[in-house]
Amino acid sequence: MKQRNILAKCVLIVIGLFYVLPMLSMARFAFQRVPMALLGWDTLFKRWTIQPLFTMMSDPIFRQSAFLSLRLAFLSALVTLLVLVPTVVYVHVSMMRARPVVEIISVLPFVVPAIALVVGIAGAFRDLAPWFIRSDYSLVPFYVIIALPFTFRSIDNGLASIDVKTLVDASRSLGASWTRTLWSVIVPNIRVAVASASFLTMTVVLGEFTIASLLLKETLPLILSQSQGREPQGSFAVGLVLLVITASLLGLINRFSRRRNMAQSVTLL
Amino acid sequence: MSITNTQSSRGPSLRRAPRLFTHSIRGWLPIAPFIGFVAVFLLMPAVVVFQRALGRVDGPKAPMVEAITGQYRKSFIFSMQLSAITAILGVIIGTMVAGSIVRLGHRRGIRNAFTGYSAVAANLGGIPLAFAFLAALGMQGLITKLLKTTGVDLIGMGFKVSDFWGIVVVYLYFQIPLMTLIMLPALDGLKPTWREAAANLGAGDRQYWRFVALPLLLPSLIAGFLLLFANAFSAYATAYALSSGSSKLVPVQIRFFLQGNTITGKENLGYALAAWMIIIMTVSMTGFIMLRRRAERWRR
Repeated sequence: MKQRNILAKCVLIVIGLFYVLPMLSMARFAFQRVPMALLGWDTLFKRWTIQPLFTMMSDPIFRQSAFLSLRLAFLSALVTLLVLVPTVVYVHVSMMRARPVVEIISVLPFVVPAIALVVGIAGAFRDLAPWFIRSDYSLVPFYVIIALPFTFRSIDNGLASIDVKTLVDASRSLGASWTRTLWSVIVPNIRVAVASASFLTMTVVLGEFTIASLLLKETLPLILSQSQGREPQGSFAVGLVLLVITASLLGLINRFSRRRNMAQSVTLL
Repeated sequence: MSITNTQSSRGPSLRRAPRLFTHSIRGWLPIAPFIGFVAVFLLMPAVVVFQRALGRVDGPKAPMVEAITGQYRKSFIFSMQLSAITAILGVIIGTMVAGSIVRLGHRRGIRNAFTGYSAVAANLGGIPLAFAFLAALGMQGLITKLLKTTGVDLIGMGFKVSDFWGIVVVYLYFQIPLMTLIMLPALDGLKPTWREAAANLGAGDRQYWRFVALPLLLPSLIAGFLLLFANAFSAYATAYALSSGSSKLVPVQIRFFLQGNTITGKENLGYALAAWMIIIMTVSMTGFIMLRRRAERWRR
């Protein structure tokens, strides 16, 4: 028994290092101005600087891409909520037999990899609506689609955890309209799920590379990959910031959902 | 409850028309915008992929056939090998991690730290993850240097982050935590009473694992493998950033056909490659969903 515990500890230590070391390496590369050859115990804490981050931030191309990604992130979260919340609420209130159908539809994006989706997008919209794919904002609906398996889960779990029918009955019998019921009764009660769905969409948007790169939209991940050679320290610094933002958003969701006893809303399980 | 029912079945047309049919159409109507959204932005592109892939033959071979012969066949084999190996390693190591967490279960702190980080890491990827591993395992990487001081010369052994095994290691960064998250509930579901029952019937430790625990865990293990396989197979950005686009992966091959937003050259071949990817993803995800249902049967 004792021996097995030691084995378990060893496994966790090795995996812990595997999780932590790449992040530390990235931080060192981005923020320390000591060449690898000279790195040792005596130089370990020398010449750390956040200058590379500022260098990147003063670059107009980078700034534009960062703002574009932020706009896309907010818009995608908004569209996600507009498309998803009324639908899932309706299903939970009076159409539970439609739930399996909606669930299957919402996991469909898993079987179409981003690279295959972008091929189809080019094929479908190039002739049909060229103005559409020329616009930067054409990415929004596709990002909503990519995030759908996660966001549906989140909203669905949120609604399952409250007595949505009683709430609707109470609100309607007191004379509230459907919009009012949705906006000031249901949404406040599932605000954790709504926040999770929005954060999930944002993490998807901030990390997505494939579709943006093949539709030639200069989002943050695309500019990062392009500036890797020109400004390695700066792009690694921004990459790290991006990872930290993503991790914090996902961590927040995880924390919310654990408190609400609906763990694992982050993954599709 | 009763109020909602009268709400949804109100309206004059409902009483006049054949009840069942109208009722069901009416009921589905509010879901139509959602279905329409998915139809336009997901199904239509997917249908176009298949339409073009199966459409007009402009070479000696049908595009769907050409997409799995010659260099493209090699690409598919490379992609599937990579996905299978990261999936197998992910299953083994992820299960070990989950097992270790359960074994040290009395320490809530360890469990929370690992599950919390796993939920985050399972969803990391893309360009920044590639950067992290370039900084860690590249020529001038921190881990490369650390290992060198302990006498392991990674570069001398022929290891490169941009090679096959390099990509495997990088993918494990999200594969291991994903598997951990799949196996934790499965291992938690093994009730101590089953072990006691087996012991009472005279089963030893080994027999318990072979005849009780393993059959119970098997659906989760296979489901995990399929999910991890699909996960690696559809990944693109990380591998692209690691090897500057020179990799043999199927997605990178597809990229050659797609310049900007137009498909150039043998355009139907690009569609056929994408179609095969969707087929492979559909098969593995369907398997995953079916096995997951089976795996959940034993949990309460």
